[in-house]
Amino acid sequence: MKNNIKDVLIYNVGAVIVGLFISACMLFFLKVNPAEVFAEAFKKIVSDGYTTGEILVKATPLIFTALAFSFTYKANLFNIGAQGQFYAGSIVAVTLSLLLGGVVPTVPLIIILLIAVFIAGGAVGALIGLAKAKCNANEFLVSMMSTYVVAAIMDYLLRTVLRETKGEYLQTDPISKSAYLVNIIPGTRVHLGFIIAVVAAIGVWVLLYKTPLGFRIRAVGCNSNAAELSGIRSSKIYVIAFLISGGLAGIAGLTEVNGVQHMLLQNFNESIGSFGIGIAILANGNPIGVIFAALLFGFMNVMGTTMGRLPGLNIPSSIIDYIEGIVMICVIIAYFLRRYVNTRKDKKLLMKESEK
Amino acid sequence: MLNILSRAVMMCTPLMLGAMAEVYAERTGMMITSIEGIFLMGAFGGFVGTYFTGSIVLGMLIAILCGLVTAALYGGITVYMRQQQIVTGTAINILAAGFCAFFYRVLFGIPTTPLKIATLPKIEIPLLSKIPVIGEVLFDQNILTYFVYLIIPVSYFVLFRTSLGLTLRSTGENPEAVDVAGLNVNRIRFLTVLVAGAFGGLAGSFYTLGYLGMFTSGIIGGRGWIAFAICFLGNWNPKGVVIGTLVFGLADAVSIYIQAVSGGTIFPNELIIALPYILTIILTISRRSFNVPAKLGVPYFKED
Repeated sequence: MKNNIKDVLIYNVGAVIVGLFISACMLFFLKVNPAEVFAEAFKKIVSDGYTTGEILVKATPLIFTALAFSFTYKANLFNIGAQGQFYAGSIVAVTLSLLLGGVVPTVPLIIILLIAVFIAGGAVGALIGLAKAKCNANEFLVSMMSTYVVAAIMDYLLRTVLRETKGEYLQTDPISKSAYLVNIIPGTRVHLGFIIAVVAAIGVWVLLYKTPLGFRIRAVGCNSNAAELSGIRSSKIYVIAFLISGGLAGIAGLTEVNGVQHMLLQNFNESIGSFGIGIAILANGNPIGVIFAALLFGFMNVMGTTMGRLPGLNIPSSIIDYIEGIVMICVIIAYFLRRYVNTRKDKKLLMKESEK
Repeated sequence: MLNILSRAVMMCTPLMLGAMAEVYAERTGMMITSIEGIFLMGAFGGFVGTYFTGSIVLGMLIAILCGLVTAALYGGITVYMRQQQIVTGTAINILAAGFCAFFYRVLFGIPTTPLKIATLPKIEIPLLSKIPVIGEVLFDQNILTYFVYLIIPVSYFVLFRTSLGLTLRSTGENPEAVDVAGLNVNRIRFLTVLVAGAFGGLAGSFYTLGYLGMFTSGIIGGRGWIAFAICFLGNWNPKGVVIGTLVFGLADAVSIYIQAVSGGTIFPNELIIALPYILTIILTISRRSFNVPAKLGVPYFKED
């Protein structure tokens, strides 16, 4: 087991480096020197505390969406709809913050919000789980579609009920300062949400590996027929896994609305759902690994924006998608290579033994 | 109203083509979860090709090529390296989005006005287009739409009336049997994915060449997934694909009609945008008798 984790780590780190190298070479197309640009961007990130902090800020919601994917992945289910569950959480977070901000003191308010966003995201998730359990619907397809539906609901609300009082843009009024997640590192935007995220990751690890429920979820993931025969109702597990998964993605709504934007706007953090999947894969579904993988993605994110801001180079910030896509592909190929190499090693060992 | 129906048929074209691509691949056990990315690459390739060569035909060829390359990457990883199809698809979709945005910037910089290209001309079919109602709706379309009219019956014939079709279907149901019969399962799957990629690329190019005449990174906006869903709802059958696509197209047309008549007072715009997705969810949940290929999404391990 230990050896296995080490192995995954070596291969994945290798894959990330190869991926970054390939994407760096793409900068030649823009007629800039990748080494120089990377060095310059890196210097900027390290020398400026605010920008360094941005890595944690960007990683925070990604930890949640990655946990959301990992959680159902352990039950061999695919929750592709973390984006929608995140939106559901965001809608609830901003609505309650606007209603209760300044009325309820900060600490109980944040606790109320935390529970509410978990329920909001969890409700969307549980519906998908129910569709899978009761109607044997394809959870992959339903969760995919749910994102678009929730996004449309969010757009509708932003255009009508939640629209700012000025009525100028499709966004809400800023929430009251008392509903902010407190800043934990002065001089940066890093907020309490990051700590909540780390705690959540550890919590998920404990839940999955140290509790009976976690055992049942993993059992259904390994072999749902065997689990069923040993008395685990897999349909129930589907709903529970999706509920928790959705809830986790919902919390990302709280950290983003109350920790970063302090309002809700259209096309809010559009791609954290799909990046969450990438992170979960990079971490091999391990909740603790998710934290580090999310930090890496956070770093790449900040790197991309920093490069985009370098004067006179005309690098699009969409290069982030590109880099992350290439890195994901490299990681997936690394999983294959690891397996291939290990099988060959095993075969050789077997051959040697049989020769003796 | 005729106008709206005609538009609905037009909008059905890429969905039908994409769903057909998906049917072929899924019959052999391969979900093309990278369909969104293939569509986008096709749209991008078609736009870039037409912009630089000035010829829509070359543009379409380049779109097909882009679809092929994307599908080859997907097929290589899922068929030969036996990795998770859903995960690989997600990665490729992200990559395609980044790729298109990046190379749009590389090729065009930041244009002050959106770049436009000429779109496919409408071709009236003599005689047929003179039939009242039907003629106007069905036979005053562009060449891609006619191509789709042709591909559906041909696909039905190939899949269910030829030995090639039998091989394809068996690969999805019982790959061991295909293997024992002396055929290479992985090669069949890979080649089918390539064919699906070519179709998908062509379908994607419809969005740039067929009616918008320009490229934005959000141009596909989940329509690849709708094609994916249509394949499921159509029971992996060309006939089902036609019905499924028409349902979507009609829903689209009706909502546009209501919108035009009521001026957005009856239904909010967002509901209309979300309608195809809601419809997919409802249909996925309510349909019971699915004819899922037995080995859909399962990589083939040859025992040795």
